[in-house]
Amino acid sequence: MSLIGVRRFIAACSESAAMKGTIALVFCCTLAIAADCNTQLNPQQKLAEFKRLDAAAETAMQQHRPSEAIELYAQAVCLVPNSARGFYGFGVAEAAAGRFLQAREAFRMSDQLQPTTGMPLLMQLRVNYSLQDIDALKANLREAAERFPQDAELHSALARFLAEKNLFVLALAESIRSQQTANDTNTKLQLAVLENTVGAYDDALRQALSLEQRTDAPKEMRGAAAGVAGLSYESLHNSEQGVHYLQEAIDLDPSQENSYLALADLLEQMQKYTAAVKVLEQGRRYLPESRAILLALGADLVRAERYQEGINALRALLREAPDTAEAYIALADAARRMGDPSEELAALRQLERVSPDYPMLHVLIARCLLNKEPADYAQILHELAIAAKRNPTDPEVFFLQGKAYTGLERYDEAASALQHSIELRPLDPGPYYQLARVYQKLGKGEAARQQFERVKYLESNAVK
Amino acid sequence: MSKSARQNTNLATAGEPIVGGLRRRELLQLTGAALLGVPLLSAEAPQNLSSPLQTIAGTSTTPDLLFVRDHFKEPDVSLEKWSLRIEGAVQKPYQLGFADLVELPSLKLEAVLECAGNVANGSAVSSGLWEGVGLAALLEAAHPDADAVAVLLEGADSGRLFDDCPALPYSQIVPLTKCNDAESLVAYKYNELALPKRNGFPARALFPGWYGMNSVKWLSRIRLLRESDRETTFHQSGMNRLYNRVTQNDGAEQITRLSGIQLKSVLAWPTNQLKLPAGRHLVWGFAWSGANAIRKVNVSSDRGETWSEAKLDSAANGRGWVRWSYPWLATPGDHILMSRASDSNGNQQPLQRDPTRKDAYELNWCSPVHCSVL
Repeated sequence: MSLIGVRRFIAACSESAAMKGTIALVFCCTLAIAADCNTQLNPQQKLAEFKRLDAAAETAMQQHRPSEAIELYAQAVCLVPNSARGFYGFGVAEAAAGRFLQAREAFRMSDQLQPTTGMPLLMQLRVNYSLQDIDALKANLREAAERFPQDAELHSALARFLAEKNLFVLALAESIRSQQTANDTNTKLQLAVLENTVGAYDDALRQALSLEQRTDAPKEMRGAAAGVAGLSYESLHNSEQGVHYLQEAIDLDPSQENSYLALADLLEQMQKYTAAVKVLEQGRRYLPESRAILLALGADLVRAERYQEGINALRALLREAPDTAEAYIALADAARRMGDPSEELAALRQLERVSPDYPMLHVLIARCLLNKEPADYAQILHELAIAAKRNPTDPEVFFLQGKAYTGLERYDEAASALQHSIELRPLDPGPYYQLARVYQKLGKGEAARQQFERVKYLESNAVK
Repeated sequence: MSKSARQNTNLATAGEPIVGGLRRRELLQLTGAALLGVPLLSAEAPQNLSSPLQTIAGTSTTPDLLFVRDHFKEPDVSLEKWSLRIEGAVQKPYQLGFADLVELPSLKLEAVLECAGNVANGSAVSSGLWEGVGLAALLEAAHPDADAVAVLLEGADSGRLFDDCPALPYSQIVPLTKCNDAESLVAYKYNELALPKRNGFPARALFPGWYGMNSVKWLSRIRLLRESDRETTFHQSGMNRLYNRVTQNDGAEQITRLSGIQLKSVLAWPTNQLKLPAGRHLVWGFAWSGANAIRKVNVSSDRGETWSEAKLDSAANGRGWVRWSYPWLATPGDHILMSRASDSNGNQQPLQRDPTRKDAYELNWCSPVHCSVL
């Protein structure tokens, strides 16, 4: 672009209300320098050229070539600097290229050229989120509230976006704005979910129950509302009502995996494992492909002492998804409850293979090895050395070390490990008892008596 | 099996996902729903709740463990209907709803909140990260009159404080200068979550460095006052009779209004009357001050005969508290443990209660904790 062209372009930009700020002017200059637009064209030719560039840019975007799209949009808005569409596309391309400051300016231009639609404002907000400029994001929200107070769809879209970004309080604010103008069931449901999410359980219940009772509403909607009510009741520690409404959610819409999982979870908390199994079996019938339900079912069958059925379910899951770490934990749990340390160890070794950093894995393995006959103390100490390296302040590691050294009749080392465990967790009577027995082996009768006394002392302690 | 693996629960599946990515248990924990044996919300009677400080895992009180001291029954505040009115000695009175409030620029700060009547080693104290809108900006938007000097803050909770007083909303009066402090907030978040309902949801006043009674919960009205404004709910309700420092010197009684939190430290562990086995134990607790930074905490295991310096495990962050610890080699026998804080101005926590005090507030002396060791 010639210098004359640049001056004309800047002049055109400056005429626009959008071009008042310095940043915007700099943005315009950047465009002018970047784009080489043909200012000799007549208006019809310009329009035709704009359409061509716009279409080419769209194609570039569809083919994930944002840099090319940026160049094309730069030329397009250079030709037609009052095109809201051009600047909007330009902003999208800049954002796709990760140039968020430029994207924000482009969306601002688009917004000011066509202030009757909320989309450019919504896009500015998204860009501000990407920039983590929360004050600017809030300014966008205030502007949206002022300029589009009746646009329930815009506020609902803002609420969804903010919720996806875990900005729940702001999402709730937008959902309230949406609800103030659109009193429809979707908006009410969105509001209820967000109220439950931020902890406004009474408000969530009010919304959800009113929806759940609306017989004219679709069953799926009522089911979701019943689910929210169930979760809110659960959070308010009203488990019975929680169970009632989560069951209601399933009855109204049996296609929702999460309803089964939520209800089974609540029943687990109430230690009603048989009931949890029943719920999950119902879920399996409706959703036979759900791995989450199968995993939960396997674990709850184990908890309900239906070990073989639980193991079968978990193995079926692992055939489909062999990397499911939690399934190995549940299998190990089943084997432990059945008194089969070999199977437990096998499950834990498989877990090690798929998830070597699983928390406390080596403590679990060491504990399992201690229960095996004959105990492989060298292996146990090896596992515990790894565990100690990963978590040097875990008293359980040193307690188990003490036990392993005791098994090896290395009593001095056992005493040292147990003393360390006591230092880390001084109010647990277990290591004192073990230490007393070690002292007995060492022939230190008085020291052993003292430790036994401490066990009794601690057990009588009303520790809060 | 870990429960968390199966709790990606979003029941709002009729529309687009709302709670994407968060597992339900995590979400419930985040939102403070996993209450640890704390009584339920929506209480019928005024609540008086606090949890032992030993239950605090890090340096911040989790939302479910925030202390509660109510004067009246918890109000039934609906989020959609809640509003805050700013009026009185102003040119442009206005009202804002929850959405208006949370979309204003906000400030985050660490702050301790302590009940003025918290006993010497008591747990009516919490500390964490608050977020809210600057009270000064909210007042400024109403264009205060030049002669406005104070602010009346009213909560949505109401009742009768004294038999000879009518039932009125909970209220406090705070000088305008304090309200205009950059740190004075209308807070709506605590530890990145909405305020728990019993702690003032959806919004409360927050005056960091001052005792908790001024941080009015369920804030519903702010009224700017002139010097001549005497007939307020604060006076009519009898609130002016509470939260006063009363000292008696040579028979003369002096009454002043409480404000700043006094320098204080507490032992979180061991708790009083605990029996311990001999050996090394990590004694720990918290220290805070309304006005100055904590510089040092000393610990004694012989009722203050000798003192050792504790380690400050966390830096004083704004107006938050400091966590401290001390490795104590406990020998058999009975012990009396104490902690004593010093601040950046050279002040020391008092060893005893000021004998001239006739009220039951600012109980910040070094309290003994009895321990027997076998």
